Amino acid sequence: MSTDLRIRSANTGISRREFLSRAGGGFGAAALAVILLEDEACGKPVVEGLHHPARARRVVQLFMAGGASHVDLFDYKPELERHHGEPSDFGEPVEAFQNGLGPWLKSPFPFHRYGQCGKWLSEPVAALGSVVDEIAFIHNMVGKTGVHSSATYLQTTGFVTPGFPGAGCWVSYALGSMNENLPAFVVLPDHRGYASNGPKNWDAAFLPARHQGTALFPNREEPIEDLLPPGGSFVTPESDAAGRELLRWWNERHRRDRQADSRLEARIRSYELAARMQLAAPEALDISREPDYIRRMYGVDRLGATFPDEINPEEEAAYFGLKCLVARRLLERGVRFVQVWSGNDNGFPRRNWDSHEDIQRDHGPLAWGMARGAAALILDLKQRGLLDDTLVIWTTEFGRMPSSQGSKGRDHNPYCFTTWLCGGGVRGGISYGPSDQWGFKPLDRDHPTEVHDIHATMLHLLGIDHTRLTVRHGGIDRRLTDVHGRVLHEILS
Amino acid sequence: MAFTMGKKRLLCWIATTWLIAVSGVAAEEQATSQRGSELFRSTIAPLFEQRCIECHNDRRRAGGLSLQTRQALLAGGTSGQVVAPGEPDASYLIDMVSPLGGEPARMPKKGPALREEELEALRQWIAAGAFWPDGTRLGPDETEWWSLRPLRSPAVPAIADADREWVRTPIDAFVAAELRRRGLEPSPPADRRTLIRRLYFDLLGLPPPPEEVEAFLADPDPLAYERLVERLLASPHYGERWARHWLDVVHYADTHGYDKDKPRPYAWPYRDYVIRAWNEDKPYGRFIQEQIAGDVLYPDSPDGIVALGMLAAGPWDFISHVEVPEEKIDGRLARSLDRDDMVRTVMETFASTTIGCARCHDHKFDPFSQQDYYALQAVFAAIDRANRPFDPDPQVARKRRQLEQRVSELQGQIDNVLASGNPESASRLENIDNRIAEIVTGIVANLRPEYGYHSVIESTPDRTKWVQVDLGEVCEISSIVLAGCYDSYNQIGAGFGFPRGWRVEAALDADFTQQVVLIADVREEELPNPGIAPLRLEVSSVRARFVRVTATALAHRRNDYIFALAELMVLDANGRNIALGKPVAALDSLELPVRWAKKNLTDGIYPGSDASQEMQEKLVELWREKLAVWQERFSREQRQRLAQLRDELVKVRQQLSQLPAQQWVYAAATDFQPEANFKPTRGVPRVICLLERGNILSPRQEVQPAVPEVLRFVPCELPDDAQGNEGARRAMLARWLSHPAHPLTWRSIANRIWQYHFGQPLVGTPNDFGRQGARPTHPELLDWLAAELRDHGGSIKHLHRLICTSAVYRQASGDRAEATAVDKENRWLWRQNRRRLEAEVLRDAMLAVAGCLDLRMYGPGYQDFVIQKPEHSPHYEYHLFDPEDYPAYRRAVYRFIVRSQPQPFMTVWDCADPSMLVDKRGETITPLQALALWNGRLPLVAARRFAERLRNFPGDVRQRLQWAFQLALARQPSADEEKEFLEFARKFGWENVCRILLNGNEFLYVD
Repeated sequence: MSTDLRIRSANTGISRREFLSRAGGGFGAAALAVILLEDEACGKPVVEGLHHPARARRVVQLFMAGGASHVDLFDYKPELERHHGEPSDFGEPVEAFQNGLGPWLKSPFPFHRYGQCGKWLSEPVAALGSVVDEIAFIHNMVGKTGVHSSATYLQTTGFVTPGFPGAGCWVSYALGSMNENLPAFVVLPDHRGYASNGPKNWDAAFLPARHQGTALFPNREEPIEDLLPPGGSFVTPESDAAGRELLRWWNERHRRDRQADSRLEARIRSYELAARMQLAAPEALDISREPDYIRRMYGVDRLGATFPDEINPEEEAAYFGLKCLVARRLLERGVRFVQVWSGNDNGFPRRNWDSHEDIQRDHGPLAWGMARGAAALILDLKQRGLLDDTLVIWTTEFGRMPSSQGSKGRDHNPYCFTTWLCGGGVRGGISYGPSDQWGFKPLDRDHPTEVHDIHATMLHLLGIDHTRLTVRHGGIDRRLTDVHGRVLHEILS
Repeated sequence: MAFTMGKKRLLCWIATTWLIAVSGVAAEEQATSQRGSELFRSTIAPLFEQRCIECHNDRRRAGGLSLQTRQALLAGGTSGQVVAPGEPDASYLIDMVSPLGGEPARMPKKGPALREEELEALRQWIAAGAFWPDGTRLGPDETEWWSLRPLRSPAVPAIADADREWVRTPIDAFVAAELRRRGLEPSPPADRRTLIRRLYFDLLGLPPPPEEVEAFLADPDPLAYERLVERLLASPHYGERWARHWLDVVHYADTHGYDKDKPRPYAWPYRDYVIRAWNEDKPYGRFIQEQIAGDVLYPDSPDGIVALGMLAAGPWDFISHVEVPEEKIDGRLARSLDRDDMVRTVMETFASTTIGCARCHDHKFDPFSQQDYYALQAVFAAIDRANRPFDPDPQVARKRRQLEQRVSELQGQIDNVLASGNPESASRLENIDNRIAEIVTGIVANLRPEYGYHSVIESTPDRTKWVQVDLGEVCEISSIVLAGCYDSYNQIGAGFGFPRGWRVEAALDADFTQQVVLIADVREEELPNPGIAPLRLEVSSVRARFVRVTATALAHRRNDYIFALAELMVLDANGRNIALGKPVAALDSLELPVRWAKKNLTDGIYPGSDASQEMQEKLVELWREKLAVWQERFSREQRQRLAQLRDELVKVRQQLSQLPAQQWVYAAATDFQPEANFKPTRGVPRVICLLERGNILSPRQEVQPAVPEVLRFVPCELPDDAQGNEGARRAMLARWLSHPAHPLTWRSIANRIWQYHFGQPLVGTPNDFGRQGARPTHPELLDWLAAELRDHGGSIKHLHRLICTSAVYRQASGDRAEATAVDKENRWLWRQNRRRLEAEVLRDAMLAVAGCLDLRMYGPGYQDFVIQKPEHSPHYEYHLFDPEDYPAYRRAVYRFIVRSQPQPFMTVWDCADPSMLVDKRGETITPLQALALWNGRLPLVAARRFAERLRNFPGDVRQRLQWAFQLALARQPSADEEKEFLEFARKFGWENVCRILLNGNEFLYVD
């Protein structure tokens, strides 16, 4: 199977651009002129005023599905080089997810120092060296389970079971949108498919449904579901525009003796907002007007290229870079929270970070592609002055063991892994909370960092007290941070 | 007086006082005690109750301290003793409530410090011995909460003169009284056109057909409305509509959820059960009992098993159950969370109780302890979620049960006979064995590496395992030969893995349901392990395609049990092995080629397959000799008896195999096909411990099954043998929940029924009747409805009738400024609510109006996605599905519901999320909804079909438009609508007209 990287092209019938330009003269333009009232229907913020001054206004989260290895990317362990091949000894009984308690395994990648801070980074993520002084690494993350599904839920929603809102949903719920023509919370899934739990990772659960993440597929023909009528239907741009006019007239007529019911008015307006989204979303996704140097920077200058069947760095860079570039465009247009995924489900052949078999084979290309896109995103945000109030979070569901599985792979390590943050209020160039000599557990086991602390810190930077953002559900005042969470003041600037 | 004292206790206290008095204790002491008693009543008890007990009660125990009982007071808190009777200065309590060193008093945390006279009273009371009457418990009575009070039918309020016209039913009297109290007037009844549309959507979830509307409008009968209600309640589509509400609450779906999210192909029989139950108006108590313990309470009813789908309806973590062993932390955690889901599902659904909050700590607001919570986990300690078989026909179910019972009786009798045999021939056997061993040594000198088939290893011998060959076509069989393996593992050698009990069957189909012939059914006692001597079973001309060998008692290996076989030969009349090279299937197989593989079973290679004719014959001869000696262990009578029992066993088994095939349902189960680490408990409950802070790594004391303590006034019986009897545990819970005296059950369901009729419940939090939940707006009405339901045989339809025929329900939904000013939310029901069609109803209504809704009921769900990569993590790709190729435009209640990948159209219209227990759906209005309805592929297909339907309508364009309006809105278009729509139709065609009709607010909203 060869993959064809297409951005968007016309399929059957009329092209999107043509459709919009023809419709734009009619209803679309009229919709843009409509002045909207803030109310429940279009995302009025629930937190009236923030709890305290915000350092960040928006968030972009990069999620590595499958479990990215800290000891092969960001958490350099010379001890593993020294003891490579010796039987692993953790000094305590260890429960591995599979059977990955083989000899100590050094990283297949060489490490070098980067930036003013002199941070050790492995070769595949060397691209991040250019921005490493912006980044605060947290090396003592601990999870609660070594099972992908529950661990992914934990990192995305703060709970190990389904039925809780994603972090982006909470942010949307608390702060609303900065651009009502676009959703407040946008998700860019891996183009190959969903990771564990699929869309449940960005589900609104018990929050109002509008706070659910909206999945965009920049490389699909239809990047947002139902944005435009499908080609080949009976709908023409003219019938569409006139139809909306008639619908509005008809709905207004229906509303005449039902004035007190604000839902009917909100329904009418939802069509106007939809029309504006039809213009705003393709515009936000249209990277064709980005200058060449920007496209090169993100590695998306080879549009239409075909790639080999085996996993390879160029392909990873192109797809991840495209999502990063789209993320930047969404953020600068007022989207509050963008979640970018790298890696799909845990099937075969591996197209995610779950390198039980071979770290070099899978982590190599994935990390190379990720680092290139992520570095470009950070640099680009910085040069636009957006990094000051944009929080970048790099996450995975757990790390990987310092011991080997087979001869070249690593098993899950929920006892220790790395997360990093940068931008909006974060002190760059630091490494917080060291892991032990192997990267097996936090050095200070009594004071690990948990996802609740990351979430608390994120909300804090957004001007929200995580203990005060609650919604009652099932008899409990639910929080993103459950009953946990500590703001990591140590990493704040 | 806020504190209570049981009568008995009081008497006892008086008696004690009297005894002390007559035994001549000093009058002074008596006076002190008198003083203490007075102080307690007048000051201390009120003080504790008003200032302390909110935090220091038996449940919350702030600082480890409770002040509810004398015992708790004396036990102290985490800092030790708080009161030293007789010594106020040594009492920590006094320090805590007194200002100290310029600092204000540390307690009470809330409100002003204690007054000086209160402090003094406290000191005196401690000095007088901290007197506390026996059995006195301070603080509120936990059952003094509206939802825990006994359920009695309240008197129907008197009707004010002004309301006499309006009031039709007792319901109206309750609502009218409340309206009067708030200075509100009810609304007049809606017109018939509105009412029929309302009733159709409410009771059936479908739009009324135009001819029904016209007939209803023209019906001169003053009871036409009541007759309509009856007719709709009798419609089978009623069950489909109302089952969907129930499925929201129990979070039903057709996949597991979590990682991989594999399909549950047999979830749907439970969905069908719910539809049937509502259509049959199954008594609600019975409905509860079947869903929790139907298999125990109604063993011969198919519903008794299918209903258990409720306990299994929620998400299930495949990886953590199948791939992770139960011994690992992740495995234990997953199983604990699985039971948590069952406890929460049952208690929120039936009792509107959020007891799940007590998993990590005692419930902070309601009177449920962690102990209570884990006692409920213990009820479900033996069950898992799995496919289990059932007989849809109750007669077959009964027959099967009888036959199975007979099988086990016969088995027992055979065992008895076998045990009575007296093996005095031991030395002869030993002699033969030695001669056999000599030959075997010669044969295995050239042992080929392809040993044979080997099952997965088990820890107990009682697992049934099978392996079978597919002959490719139906063949005439004249004999079957089994050859045992040789493996020196654990010095076993010849006959390695040969089962201690086994049977051989032939059949026409791979599942062994058609023309199953039992060829042999053998136990070791009758036939010893043949070692590597090929065992030939003569068959008198059987026709079959599949031959199966089933191990009924596994062979011992080291500390574990297996089933292994070197070769399975099937010989035709010419003695030709027709099984050679034919495909082999097995329940499970330890595939470790070259030695062990399924295909080795028919590869023609077995110990001795290359040996000389002479050697083979000698071996068989010796084996026959051994068999004869072996069988001589029994007398002729014993052998006759055995043969007789065997014959009957064969017959009974034959009868069993001839019963109609069983169906499957995904349900709570204790016995099922194991899959890797996911193994059945076989009814042996797991040990349930209280988990400190809910942490699987901090188990505390073991907890026995029980119902929550505060609710034990509802009769509840757990037989003494419940320790090992898991069914009795669930039966106890089922009976308790469905008991007429249960204060929560009947209120809970009455509130839900009301909610679905009005779009708003009487208690705003249908799954939470606790202190964090909402209070009922009409508590008396709720109690009246609940009692009415309970006392009318648990008939839900009775409740529907009462509600639908009430004046409250029939009210117009129009706005009235003077009423809005008082009650914008319509809490007091001065009008009916305008309701939006739910996701399923919207979809069904579109298809119904378009004339393409397929109303066939029941069966497996329709799938509106394409599955990619089903082998690992199935991708459910909705965008690849072509709505033009609908397999069937069936009602949305039959949708195959994927947990991890929600259906986009239904989700955007706020359908229930099957990861949560949904008591009330959200109702959002978003641009994405507008896009989904305006541009979505299904709505556009519906619009096109709708237009086709209109084109086939005889008549001119005006009549066509009129019919379109009637179909979609149950009314005629007005003159201005006619003008606009016809003009639009002329320009853009009818498809575009239909698109607008399906997007209109009038279509989307009832009223």
